[in-house]
Amino acid sequence: MSLIADEIIRFSSVLKIAYNFLTGRAYLKRKKFREKEKLVSVALPFSDLPFAAGTVPVFPIRMHIFNVNQYLSYLGTASNIFGWKGVSNFLGFVKNLGISEVSKIVDDIIEDVIKEINEKYNEMYDIGIEGGISSDFCYGLKSLVGMHLSKSRNVDAYMNITIRCSAFNKYLESLTAINNDPRPIWIDIPPRNIGNALELLTDNINHALVDFENLTGKTVSDNMLRNHFNISNQVKSAYKTIIFDISASDFYPCNPATFSEIMSLLNITFQDYNSNAIRYRDNMNSLVKEMRERIRKGIGMDVSGMPRIFVTPIFGGWEPKSHDYIYELGGRALYADWGLLKLLEEIPISPRNNPVEEYAHFLLNATETGIGCDNDKLTDSYLRMAKELNADGIVFIQLFGCHSISNCYRMLRDKVRRELEIPITAITFNKIGENIEQVKTRIGAFMEMF
Amino acid sequence: MQALEIFEGFSHYLKEMKSQGKKVIAFISHDNIPEELIDAAGFIPLRLIFAGNDELMDASHDYLPPSTCAFAQTCIGLFALKPRQFDFLELVDYFIVSNHCVSDICASEVICKYFNIPRINFYTSYMRNSNSEKYFRLEIAEFRNKLEEIRDAVISDEMIIESISRYNEFRQVIKEINNLKLQGGLKLKLMQKAFLFGPKILPELREFIASNEDSRTNTSNSIDLLLTGCSIFINDILIDLIEEGGGNVLFFDTWIGYNYYSQQFEENAFDNIQNPIDLLASRFVNNIYGDHSVPNFLENRIAHIEKIYRDYNQKTGKKLGIINHIIKFCDHHSLMSSFFKNKLQEKGIQVLNIERDYSRANRGQLSTRIEAYLEMISE
Repeated sequence: MSLIADEIIRFSSVLKIAYNFLTGRAYLKRKKFREKEKLVSVALPFSDLPFAAGTVPVFPIRMHIFNVNQYLSYLGTASNIFGWKGVSNFLGFVKNLGISEVSKIVDDIIEDVIKEINEKYNEMYDIGIEGGISSDFCYGLKSLVGMHLSKSRNVDAYMNITIRCSAFNKYLESLTAINNDPRPIWIDIPPRNIGNALELLTDNINHALVDFENLTGKTVSDNMLRNHFNISNQVKSAYKTIIFDISASDFYPCNPATFSEIMSLLNITFQDYNSNAIRYRDNMNSLVKEMRERIRKGIGMDVSGMPRIFVTPIFGGWEPKSHDYIYELGGRALYADWGLLKLLEEIPISPRNNPVEEYAHFLLNATETGIGCDNDKLTDSYLRMAKELNADGIVFIQLFGCHSISNCYRMLRDKVRRELEIPITAITFNKIGENIEQVKTRIGAFMEMF
Repeated sequence: MQALEIFEGFSHYLKEMKSQGKKVIAFISHDNIPEELIDAAGFIPLRLIFAGNDELMDASHDYLPPSTCAFAQTCIGLFALKPRQFDFLELVDYFIVSNHCVSDICASEVICKYFNIPRINFYTSYMRNSNSEKYFRLEIAEFRNKLEEIRDAVISDEMIIESISRYNEFRQVIKEINNLKLQGGLKLKLMQKAFLFGPKILPELREFIASNEDSRTNTSNSIDLLLTGCSIFINDILIDLIEEGGGNVLFFDTWIGYNYYSQQFEENAFDNIQNPIDLLASRFVNNIYGDHSVPNFLENRIAHIEKIYRDYNQKTGKKLGIINHIIKFCDHHSLMSSFFKNKLQEKGIQVLNIERDYSRANRGQLSTRIEAYLEMISE
């Protein structure tokens, strides 16, 4: 994997995002105990209200201790002195000197990061199973239950937003059975946008805001909402630039496997913005700048001859080695789940508009046209995204135990063949590392079609 | 009363109704579908309440993965397997796509799309509060409009009130059946038949109740049980296995059972009713034991079962066995099953979680588990 690490060190913003992910525990402890802020657990990218209300959203796996590669740890310390960009430049310089020992160390950093995250996910999965969740549920839910069984004592509230997945909604309910202390803050999204559904959702969000005010003892003003939406819009804008402008282009600022690594890291971290929206926005903006700068200088890789393979959905779990195999076989894996589900849409922040209603509009739009209230709508989303990415093929992750987002393969396959006329294949997934040979074989057979 | 006879009778009944120009509206059975509106429109509601088998489940795998709820697989299989197990399914005119759970959505959608049955949407919120009640009214209004469009005539409030009243009476009769001192399996089979035919067989049900009111099936050697979780559907062997193992289900805390008849309206609810939709909306909000809703389903269910258990224990001095029936890959009951069991066991109430699909191979294992549990609680 040295090639991957070699490329990633050039992006200081990626190092920062990875570092912030792995060292979340210390950051969160500081927020909770020293700064007396409230921690709110989130899953899926629903961190907007907790941020706007002045609480600290956290994707609960981040409360765990990660084995941070000692060199990344040094880098973190060094960054406090030299700044991250300086550190990244230094590493690039050292690497270019060709000092093999140092090179190897640098290469190992990111490999360790990805490995560490995956191992932690699997650990959460095992805790979930030991804690009693049936093994029949999807990887994502089992891991989420594991995260809460092990760490929910540290949070002050749960951000519970109902979606079309009934297992997810029941998981949200079960959080109180796991730990009754944190306050559940619910937002029920109407299944369809009919009649005055938008108004009802707006009211539901207002009730959630009252719950936040009770949690923090502070009022949540319209301006606080707009200010956060403004930040999150910038995050989304940067994310969309990476997905639609850069990943769909013919020249990458790094090799495609590296690019996929970055995209998978963003996919995970987008859920809680590493608990600090401003810092995350700055990192995302830097990432876009760094990528563009490299492209402008011609540093990177011409990928025009490499088929674009849209790999989806990955947010509930997938085999992270998939993109390596695709790359080895001459393709490039594209990840764009949050865009597909319309969770990268920006929220209007004009002072003339009611920000609560705008947020309601955002959620309802994602429900109606992104996630979809049925598989017909959902498969349209897959098609739309495949077209926008100009995908040459689709690898569909059929997540064991997922009854919602990843069980529409038959319908999707029919539509893709009829409307897009590109190859599509399904790969089943249960747990990271469990089925690697099969994934490799399936991808190998699929890539022969290009 | 054999299932075969029921199906034959039902097939005959549906054909007769179709010959009268009535439409058949099928749906994957759940407690928030406003069956009264279908009835008021002059159509026949057809609940899919049929248990599966290996062939039916296998036949669904072209459309959804095998890790889909076994009941949803079965519903698809009923349409996919040729020749169809039930000829009356050929008579279905419309199918309701609803979101009791996400498998309900996916399976219903597959049935509509791949077997060319026009769909009618009916969705409900996941929470029960004043806003979800308002949303429920929106869906009801759309649903009513759609039915009016199909029948090409208005469904008046009076027609709806009449249907609600008829179904209310039906619920009362189901409740009376449940309260008979008969073997659980017999009551269940009668309730299943009632669910299939609806209020049309009220006279037959009443006659049965009248002739069995004073009957007492000798169940003194059996262990009394409460069955909760997923319903036992028509043709399922589970109830037989329970009875063969020495158990007797006293109380069906499932959709076919308490969950259904507990949604009965008080008689005075009909006094001066202005808008019949108010009744349906209030039922949705008051459906606290419905497994669709969050966030208090588990809490309500545990409190409810604990009360039944304590009452029974006080009255008889015996333990009431609790069987939590989970159809494999059921989102609602499976995810909560360990919490459910642990919380009741903390209160000294022993629970058997049975998670199973409809394959024949399970039979031996199910029997063994049921027998072991019954032995344990009889000690």
